[in-house]
Amino acid sequence: MSYSPAFTDHIENPRNAGELPDANAIAEETNPVCGDRLRLSLRVVDGRIEAARFLAYGCPPTLVCGSALTELIDGKAIDDATRVTRKDLLEAIGGLPSRKQHAAALAIETLRAALESACSSLVQKS
Amino acid sequence: MAQTRKVYLDHSATTPVDPRVVEAMLPYLTEKFGNASSVHFFGQEARAAVDRARREVAALIGSRAKEVVFVSGGTEANNLAIKGICELNSSPKGHIITSIIEHPSVRGLCEALEKTGWAVTWLPAYEDGVVRVDDVRDALRPNTVLISVMLANNEIGTIQPVEEIGALVNEERTRGRRHTWFHVDAVQAAGRIPINVERLGCDLLSLSGHKLYSTKGTGALFVRGGVRLTPQNIGGHQERERRAGTEAVPGIVAFGTAAKLAKEEMDQNSLHVSRLRDLFEAGVTDQIQDIVFNGDRSQRLPHLSNISFRFIEGEGLLISLDLQGVAVSTGSACSSGTLEPSPVIRALGRDDELARGSIRFSFGKDNNEQDVAYVLDVLPRVVARLRELSPLNKPPRVMEPAIAE
Repeated sequence: MSYSPAFTDHIENPRNAGELPDANAIAEETNPVCGDRLRLSLRVVDGRIEAARFLAYGCPPTLVCGSALTELIDGKAIDDATRVTRKDLLEAIGGLPSRKQHAAALAIETLRAALESACSSLVQKS
Repeated sequence: MAQTRKVYLDHSATTPVDPRVVEAMLPYLTEKFGNASSVHFFGQEARAAVDRARREVAALIGSRAKEVVFVSGGTEANNLAIKGICELNSSPKGHIITSIIEHPSVRGLCEALEKTGWAVTWLPAYEDGVVRVDDVRDALRPNTVLISVMLANNEIGTIQPVEEIGALVNEERTRGRRHTWFHVDAVQAAGRIPINVERLGCDLLSLSGHKLYSTKGTGALFVRGGVRLTPQNIGGHQERERRAGTEAVPGIVAFGTAAKLAKEEMDQNSLHVSRLRDLFEAGVTDQIQDIVFNGDRSQRLPHLSNISFRFIEGEGLLISLDLQGVAVSTGSACSSGTLEPSPVIRALGRDDELARGSIRFSFGKDNNEQDVAYVLDVLPRVVARLRELSPLNKPPRVMEPAIAE
């Protein structure tokens, strides 16, 4: 399989890997069929994503989608981050073969779950 | 990409063609182009080359030349052996004994036959990746038509007790069992360890050229004299009616030459690759924690090492190594959101995580100590980076109180 330069760059130099000690939005989703796993931790301040970190286990597209996702959402307002789609993510990494696109779906699913947890945590706080 | 060094450690997938093999086959791609079935000079020149190659392949496995049938590769050899025997003995459909760690071509064939009404016993391979002859004995039924067990496994390299199984089959024959045949897939073992079909006691044995420094597209099936099978290619008299179709003379010449070289140089090549493999394994053990070696390490092919790395997934490791110029392989495949952890590693009783994190490193005669040193420099760093990314070795996070004001 040949991957795009953007893809290999993310594999070799993952962005925002790790966890935020002061995250206020965390989600971890697993693809129940293949076992790929993505953990996303966000620090949301004033309705804006101030920092994002990811951990991933799975095939290379899952690692790359996690890395690229954190770049896409960093600094975004929650409303804007909610509108990030699988297509946006695929564009950012130069595309994926159709049989690997589940990795982008897992990343978006994890993002949505993290944003929901951000909203509920903020609601609880207020 | 900054890296320039390329280290090929995937010799179980295929081997580079030996320059001496290329030299031997070249005339048969140019001036010696005859059809080996033609009666004129051009044809007889090709026929002589095919006959010579047949003797060379036969010498590698200790058979008679006329017992060697040239085919397109290991998969076709397995198809001809298994379908050829079972189709000829299908009234009524009988019983097959095979192992759970066979190559996909044997596994697939047996599964397909199972669906058509054949009974199949799948022998376990236990934690060491080795089938037991007692299990074969226990599985034998009056209507067992075929036993198919590989000589060495393609993923973990474990050598199976084929000689003991052959002895069992022959012992059964002396007691009157006449209709049970024994097939051995020797694709991974050929050229790497000595093979003698008389000692193994098998009726059929599959070989592939490109695993022993020949070209892709040529293999052979040993069919013991007197063993009948249904040809799977119809429409010509080639290969004594067992495989119709014009002989692929250049590939056959290449295979013969490679077989001759493999036999002559086996001792030195085995020593060389086992030394590199052992050096590699010692380095990995020294530098990387949380690894599991797969398969019995005392009873395996000399060139192969299969290691599971905890907390990371094989394909991620494979791609990361590839980007550093190191070519290896993994038995697991993730496709369309479904995962097939290596059936071979699962058969050892390993969990999904270990089965997903397994990597096969297979050395070849052209590798050297500098290759091992390079891989031992790259591998620990790549494993460490992927483990840093992994959530599996970190506890689940508990949310901190919200800080938004």
